Amino acid sequence: MDTRPRTPHGTGDPVPVLTVRPLDGCHGVRAAGEIVLATHPVWERVLEQAVREGGGVYHLELSGVTFADVAGAGALAAAAERLGDGRWFVVRRPPPTLRRVLEMFWPDLPTIEVSMS
Amino acid sequence: MSAAAEPVGTAPDPFVHPALFYRDEREYLDGTVPFVREGLAAGEPVAVAVPGDRLRLIRDALGDDARTVRLLDMREAGRNPGRIIPGVLRAFADAQPAGRRVRIVGEPIWAGRSAAEYPACAQHEALINTAFRGRAVTILCPYDAGSLSEPVLADAHATHPVVIPAGSAPAHGSAAYAPDAVVARYNEPLPPVPDAMTFPFAAESLTRARHLATDEGRRLGLTGVTLEDLALAATELTTNSVVHGGGSGVLRVWGEGGHVLCEVRDRGRLTDPLAGRRPPARERPGGRGLLLVNLIADLVRTHTGDEGTTVRCWFAR
Repeated sequence: MDTRPRTPHGTGDPVPVLTVRPLDGCHGVRAAGEIVLATHPVWERVLEQAVREGGGVYHLELSGVTFADVAGAGALAAAAERLGDGRWFVVRRPPPTLRRVLEMFWPDLPTIEVSMS
Repeated sequence: MSAAAEPVGTAPDPFVHPALFYRDEREYLDGTVPFVREGLAAGEPVAVAVPGDRLRLIRDALGDDARTVRLLDMREAGRNPGRIIPGVLRAFADAQPAGRRVRIVGEPIWAGRSAAEYPACAQHEALINTAFRGRAVTILCPYDAGSLSEPVLADAHATHPVVIPAGSAPAHGSAAYAPDAVVARYNEPLPPVPDAMTFPFAAESLTRARHLATDEGRRLGLTGVTLEDLALAATELTTNSVVHGGGSGVLRVWGEGGHVLCEVRDRGRLTDPLAGRRPPARERPGGRGLLLVNLIADLVRTHTGDEGTTVRCWFAR
């Protein structure tokens, strides 16, 4: 008989975080954590900054991001559409959900390059 | 002034949505192939989205003409009835140049549809009328009158303004046409399942809700992309409850036959019958959560009323 509790209980809900640091040696940031409702403001600030900053390629190193929701992918797509001429995002090692949602809703955005290396 | 002579609202709707009843292969091909050829002869874009075995019949009958028709296996493209409008019908119609009528043969209901799927199928057929109102589109929906049950065939008369009887009888208006009543009738309560992982959530526990859904999905046999899809669906539904559905809700995940089911209940009310059924608008990056769930799940059922809203989705394991 399965005796595991069917209804989880207890305290200590994990608080979602998204930490952001400048990348060494290239233009962009390294983000870690998760892109969800609670961290959308942080994520949107990162993207806003990237749009404003200028320069050529902007790197988003996301190997430390474990999950991104649809609104997070949408914010990235909206920022990518606002990048000036000759600029684009290189999105490095995004979580599988971000790749899936980008492929589904924004498959041919020329200003987002997904890199798995 | 023509506006006075022809007030808005009296012009016939350019959208045409007949149900075609057939009893055998000959009637099927007699009803669909000339419809396709007429469209091609008029230079209209034509798509055929029907179950794979019937798709082969139409393709073979069209011969070389099949190359200029968009052919889709509805068992795959339309497995979840909730994604047929955004992912099949409008995906095709919206991609065509303006000014040309678009023709589609769409067969979303076949004898193998399950009891869980059918209410979503009937609602889908009814909502096509709302989704395409005012557009120069013809969607012909074949119904297998020899295999489908009487209630299903009766529903087809309520979801289609025009019906083409089996045999050689001409098309006529359907006296039973009442699509809104069908949407309401199949807004059926989804009884809670006793033996499910159950988690009441609010804004501060959205991440825990996602982890619990994923853990339970993995334990129940989901892997890879499907497990990621469950995580996405659970996230979008619970986030919707927090943002639009009263701030909290209850998440449930359980296994049933060949599927893992994920359900979210909240106190909100879904007032837009086409929620999650509109293709994404490029200029609006938000509001795609329900659409995403429709696109990735094998089936989505909803129940909404004064007491709240339940969205239940199925993932094959």
